[in-house]
Amino acid sequence: MARLTVIGRGVRVRGRVTGDADLTIEGHVEGEIAVSGEVTVEASGLVGASVAAHVIVVRGAVRGDLTGEEVVRLEEGARVVGDLRAPRIAIAKGALVKGLVQTGSVAATAPRAKAQASAPARPVAAKRPAPPVAAPSRPAAPPARPAPVAPKAAPPVAARPAAPARPAPPPPPPPAPPQQVVAKGPPPPVVPALKKGAKAALKKKAT
Amino acid sequence: MALTRTTSSTSKHDAAHSTQAVLGAGTRVRGRITGDGDLAVHGHVEGEVHLRGELFIAEGASVVSNIEASALRVAGALDGDVNVTGDVALLAGARVRGDLRGASVSLEEGAELDGRLDCEFTLPVELSGGGLDDSDGPTVRR
Amino acid sequence: MASTVIGAGITIEGEVSADEELVVQGTIRGKVDAREGVTVEAGGTIEADITGGPLTVAGSVTGNITSSDRVDLQAGARVVGNVKATRITIADGAQFKGNVDMDV
Repeated sequence: MARLTVIGRGVRVRGRVTGDADLTIEGHVEGEIAVSGEVTVEASGLVGASVAAHVIVVRGAVRGDLTGEEVVRLEEGARVVGDLRAPRIAIAKGALVKGLVQTGSVAATAPRAKAQASAPARPVAAKRPAPPVAAPSRPAAPPARPAPVAPKAAPPVAARPAAPARPAPPPPPPPAPPQQVVAKGPPPPVVPALKKGAKAALKKKAT
Repeated sequence: MALTRTTSSTSKHDAAHSTQAVLGAGTRVRGRITGDGDLAVHGHVEGEVHLRGELFIAEGASVVSNIEASALRVAGALDGDVNVTGDVALLAGARVRGDLRGASVSLEEGAELDGRLDCEFTLPVELSGGGLDDSDGPTVRR
Repeated sequence: MASTVIGAGITIEGEVSADEELVVQGTIRGKVDAREGVTVEAGGTIEADITGGPLTVAGSVTGNITSSDRVDLQAGARVVGNVKATRITIADGAQFKGNVDMDV
């Protein structure tokens, strides 16, 4: 029970959500989400954030990349603008997606010209037993979008001098830039060595 | 047994009768396939497919081709971009590389895909912030 | 019953605003605005200014509290910050450091 977090319909979170737990989102989250358990975006959920978790289930709306260590499932009603990466991905007929979809483990997508997935970079908070302060998880996919949000999270935090004894304000995300370097999967759509259908196109030309 | 077998570079297979056409497991086709009606591919196709009907790529089949069709079901291997007016369904054994566009796109868990999905829809207003729109997918940026 | 529970393993860094009750067992750093009130359970931590409805604290709060209702610090609570509320109770065993303003 302690492991389950529910962000209800009337709640709006702007910032980073990390931890060793499962998360159910019925409200609105903007920023970044990186947890070690299962993230469920319910039908009423609105997520403007990258999501990294072990299992991701979406029935609501997401603008952000979804990276699952095990599986990403989009159920009917899901609307996702973002890239999906996981060893297994399921998309129901009534789910709508705009973005890259890559199944297979991160390492396995390497051969694919498109996929510069860097396995190490894709840790997903998962491994860490989230020390509350640390939030070590830089979710792998540095969606540009949260960037504007992230800094927003920083100021309020920084403004919290109220905690003398407390370890300095949580590592706010200067990560935004480094993240992009480090993490990575969403390979800028590199021109694949062999463009899909190139053979076909060639054939056609040869005609 | 194979219904057709051709290796010429411009072969046209016309399934004009809108009964289902089948390219058997031993078939290799290189060239263009066009027609009205459904087509089930169990063999190997390389080239282009323009079908006014449903294309089914069976398990064990392989298609290297861009595809235009009314509907697409894949249980085998496909390397090419897909533009379909109806539904695209990747079944559990499918291995697909290419961008998929259709009225709906579904993936059974177990299907392998490396490509883009492009469905037509808009996100709720609350999530519209973010500038770049969806045509690219959010990560392309930066 | 709260419908939003921030569980023990979760850390939120940023702003949280809620129009329903918030129960915090994990950690929130940043800003909290909860119209229907907040319960910080033992083990829960909020490092943020909190505004909103009734506040019940059994865990740790560092930040200024502005409540339109009552604030109750239970035994085991640790609160550092100024409190503005219509009513306040500080149980035996609660630790509190800050000003209290019950200006009506």
